[in-house]
Amino acid sequence: MFARRLDARARKIQDPVERLRFLQREMQALDSKSRPSARRRWTGWNGISAAAVAIAAVLAAPWPAGVAETTARESRMAIPAAAAAFESVKSPVKVWRVDRSETFETYSNGLRVDLTFVASNQARQRYPVFPLNGGAEPARYQTNPAGIVYHTTEGQLAEFEEAKNQRLKALGRNLLEVVREERAYHYVIDRFGRVYRVVEETDTANHAGHSVWADPSGIYVNLNTSFLAVSFEGQTGEPDAVTAAQIQAARMLTEMLRSKYSIPAENCVTHAQVSVSGVNNHIGVHFDWASQFPFAAVGLPDNYGQPLPSLIVFGFEYDSAFVRAIGGRWKGLDLAEAQVAEQAASQGMPVSRYRAILQHRYTDILGVLAETEGGG
Amino acid sequence: MSETAVGPALGLDVGTSRIVAARGSRGEHGAGERTYDSQLNAFVSIPYSKITVDALSRENVPHTVGPYEIIVHGNESEKFAGLLNAEIRRPMNRGILDPKEPDSLKVIREILSRMLQANPQQQQAPRKICFTVPAPPLGSPDALTYHEATLRQTLEDLGFEPSSINEGLAVVYGELADSNYTGIGISCGGGLCNVCLAYLSVPVVSYSVPKAGDYIDMNAAQVTGERANLVRLAKEDSFHFNGFSENKMQQVIGVYYDDMIRSLVASLKEAFARTASLPKFSRPIPIMLSGGTTLPAGFRDRFEKLLREQDFPITVSEIRLAQDPLHSTAKGALTFALSEG
Repeated sequence: MFARRLDARARKIQDPVERLRFLQREMQALDSKSRPSARRRWTGWNGISAAAVAIAAVLAAPWPAGVAETTARESRMAIPAAAAAFESVKSPVKVWRVDRSETFETYSNGLRVDLTFVASNQARQRYPVFPLNGGAEPARYQTNPAGIVYHTTEGQLAEFEEAKNQRLKALGRNLLEVVREERAYHYVIDRFGRVYRVVEETDTANHAGHSVWADPSGIYVNLNTSFLAVSFEGQTGEPDAVTAAQIQAARMLTEMLRSKYSIPAENCVTHAQVSVSGVNNHIGVHFDWASQFPFAAVGLPDNYGQPLPSLIVFGFEYDSAFVRAIGGRWKGLDLAEAQVAEQAASQGMPVSRYRAILQHRYTDILGVLAETEGGG
Repeated sequence: MSETAVGPALGLDVGTSRIVAARGSRGEHGAGERTYDSQLNAFVSIPYSKITVDALSRENVPHTVGPYEIIVHGNESEKFAGLLNAEIRRPMNRGILDPKEPDSLKVIREILSRMLQANPQQQQAPRKICFTVPAPPLGSPDALTYHEATLRQTLEDLGFEPSSINEGLAVVYGELADSNYTGIGISCGGGLCNVCLAYLSVPVVSYSVPKAGDYIDMNAAQVTGERANLVRLAKEDSFHFNGFSENKMQQVIGVYYDDMIRSLVASLKEAFARTASLPKFSRPIPIMLSGGTTLPAGFRDRFEKLLREQDFPITVSEIRLAQDPLHSTAKGALTFALSEG
């Protein structure tokens, strides 16, 4: 009787660690012996006790590499599709325009938008939205903005104190002129919390370059057209330089834009979250608001916790330099990693192979976008 | 069979309410000495002020400073929760990282980082570490992969070579060496009760039950109007199973304890009755109870009474309470880490 002999032999080993090691080795050996070719399956069991047969039945699959694998197999856990990673957050409060003059717009939540720097750019055409679960052909086209990307202006800053008031105002004005010239953002919030529309909402702004985001309805690639840009006068890596007035203004502006275009909260994200390289399949070409974006104060959930779409749907990667630059890992980064690993496992392939397939899809989509001339 | 000495290793029980680290090595003549270190897997956040940061640093209170708040974590969090009359927050819920707690990852990383610093008394810092993960709830698949992958990544970042083990199996490895790692290990913790039936070291059935210590605390808190923290303290300090109590808190805790044990016993019967490939055991097998929720006097007797009332499909030789219920899961994880060496 195999099991009894094994039991008796193990009992002679005094050291519990060595005993455990012995049992594991013997049971794994039994497991590999108990998986003969289909033709020999039943003849190969001669001489093995009923108990050992029962154990072998439990161990029908390969010896697990980790507990999650074991438990997933035991419970026949379904591997979630990419779509399950994104959860929709309920729609915003209603905000409407109360008044408008040549230089200002006023909104019902107290937002006041300065129009003195507004300029036109290329009008927003319909842009493609790609399906979550594969293919390079667009699932549909859309014309309204789907989200907001938050930036910092990366400009020169003066100390925020009364004695520097003239300098602060001058820097702000210079900044607005540069942003207008480059059609860089739809909105700029200066350090006094004043909100300036710089590019018309109906037009594209040159703010995001190579970038990716996704929501339950699809994937957005290169967000200049599909997402509005809101920029804080500030510097990357210096979140303390952003003033309370700016945060309050950002909250009101976000409320207004979400209300006007029915933008879901999960599509209000930072430039660092959406930025990708067009060259080496790495994320994080730009680091603005890579950490400490005041999501809660702006009336949004902590979107750093969202699984990063660029990793999940296009297999983008990152290196330790990126993690250092963002000052630690995002929860969304870990969630995305775990999901990629799960999906690779569900496809029965190594993660590297699975990523390569996703990356290939991104290249295909860039090709489609190039053909349709600047969609997205 | 040669026995070679194995370098130091670590076993880590990552529970909803506590994290326990077991350190040890294996010499030429068997198991060496084990040492244990434990921290509350909890934190409180305090509004930021420079004065508070200075005071915490001066008093050597483990904390992290954010832009708007200070987070005090580990054992000190309980004291601060009492001082501030605040509920303790936890990085984990029901055995896994809490998706609704935005600071979960940061806090657990801080706690682990402090706990797992190389033991200054050891010449060689441990590299191998085995951490526990829960099993999925009975009958309902659960997403454990993220939890496990996150802990693994965190431990790798801290310089370890991690492996994982199911909590119930860790109880078997920690306490059931004398039955050749055959039997049922049950870990009754804060968020979950984890169960594993193992046969000659191989896990056959593993699952969890979402009624455990927190279930008792939260429900008793609702009934009595006290904070869950205070219920937990009352439960740990003075509760025992001796029938009806005139003290309302004790009586309410008793009601929910009983409900928890009944659920656990019912799950055992259900799980083993529906497992088609149960081994034919050549002899009755033991059940080992462990975890902080098994600590009240009379727990083992109450469990045995309710189990014996059931038509249980496996013949049980004995029901034992672990000698050191708070440490047996970490001990089992350590045994597994050493066996991999």
